[in-house]
Amino acid sequence: MKPEVDQILGLSASQLLGGIAPLLPTGYAQGAVSLVAFMMILSAQEYERAADIRVAENNDVRALFKSLAAQVGDAELKAKLETAAATADSSLKISALDAANYELRRLLISLHIYMESQPGENARAAEKSIWQTLRALADRRALKLPSQ
Amino acid sequence: MNEELSDRLARYLAVKLDASDLQVNGLSRIPGGASRETYRFRAHYSKDGRNIERGLILRRDPPTSLIETERSTEFRAYQAFYKLGLPVPEPIALELENAALDRPFFIMEEIENCQVASILLPDPYGAHREKIGEQFFTVLGRIAGANPDAIGLGDLDGARQDCWRHEVGRWERVIEEDEREPQPIARAAIRWLKRNPPPQAQKISVVHGDYRTGNFLHDADGNIRAILDWEMAHLGDPLEDLGWALDPLWSHGDPSHPAGTVSRERAFEIWERASRLKVDHAALAWWEIFASLKGLAIWISAAREYVDGRNTDPVNAFSGWFCLSFHNKVLADRLGGAA
Repeated sequence: MKPEVDQILGLSASQLLGGIAPLLPTGYAQGAVSLVAFMMILSAQEYERAADIRVAENNDVRALFKSLAAQVGDAELKAKLETAAATADSSLKISALDAANYELRRLLISLHIYMESQPGENARAAEKSIWQTLRALADRRALKLPSQ
Repeated sequence: MNEELSDRLARYLAVKLDASDLQVNGLSRIPGGASRETYRFRAHYSKDGRNIERGLILRRDPPTSLIETERSTEFRAYQAFYKLGLPVPEPIALELENAALDRPFFIMEEIENCQVASILLPDPYGAHREKIGEQFFTVLGRIAGANPDAIGLGDLDGARQDCWRHEVGRWERVIEEDEREPQPIARAAIRWLKRNPPPQAQKISVVHGDYRTGNFLHDADGNIRAILDWEMAHLGDPLEDLGWALDPLWSHGDPSHPAGTVSRERAFEIWERASRLKVDHAALAWWEIFASLKGLAIWISAAREYVDGRNTDPVNAFSGWFCLSFHNKVLADRLGGAA
């Protein structure tokens, strides 16, 4: 059995906070080391979930595009939405998931602007769906403090 | 490096304070945010036959600056509010040229035996939370109530008409310049702010720009001794500062008690009494949304500095990651709940 990356990060952070930071003079160095340790704890959380939250977010946005594309009168935007909705993540590397995510986010912004400019109940309902997706995005990416 | 910096600082101050025997001791860097390098030191010199020892603070520009803030603005704000009797350190010297210490800097009095609360602590003020809250919102009210022209700050950046538009534009530009990945929540917030403008400000005030828990020094008896970090001071709607002070990021986990102190309702009472202004709650709701958007812009900028390697202070990594995700959630909940 080998130590997993999140465990290494967590225990190393404990070493920094409990064993090393107190040996440093108070001031910038101690504060900076403590903050680095704190971010290692957050990184340990992120190691476990990073790919999962990106895949879920990308799939959520694609599903949103699929459900709203029919309401879009702008032919160019509609075609982009339909194309993006049909894509899938072929790699679980974070860099590949992020690249896909950034493309989807750009299109999501365009879709949001378009729906805000449209009159009618359907457009308001579409806005609501977009905000639901944005809230889910923000919820997934929220970081939990070690003390919480 | 500190020895060389000490020597150069001593030479500078000897001239500035007209004290040829001035010595600098104990120069050490302390936490002070990523936008300035902050050092504590002690100056020893004689003046008029007396031996003087003073604790001083050096705030020097970093090699690159997070948000392009004007150090002379911060120094002038310290001067103005020090004269007005608010708890701020006495400003000593401002140097805008690079010759003395390679970068611009200023020097101010050190407020000793005090602490700054970490925003990560759940209850940093303990038994003093009410006492600190009274002072915190009273000082904010006094800043809001001051006449910028009368205290020599009437020429600060900002707008006297439609100041909301000036501020949204300012932070929108920061996001446009610094975002690495598309920010759908920030973009939606900017559009919402423009579609739903607040009323004209009831008064144009000096806005501190970063008035919050963690930006003041307090002593062990719960006395606020110094309001710090005036580098983003500008003219604008006093509700801007109030909205920022109320932001959940600065609430130590309990937004019903802003800054980890008194209740929101009590905060409004204190602020109104000290400022002689009224809290327009509809306008304040707009400024609270604005506060979180402004936060996002600052964190996006911090992330950019860090990722590009211009300023790898861990504060920038923390801001660009934790604080960014925090304010994305605040805005998504506030605006998404209203959609």
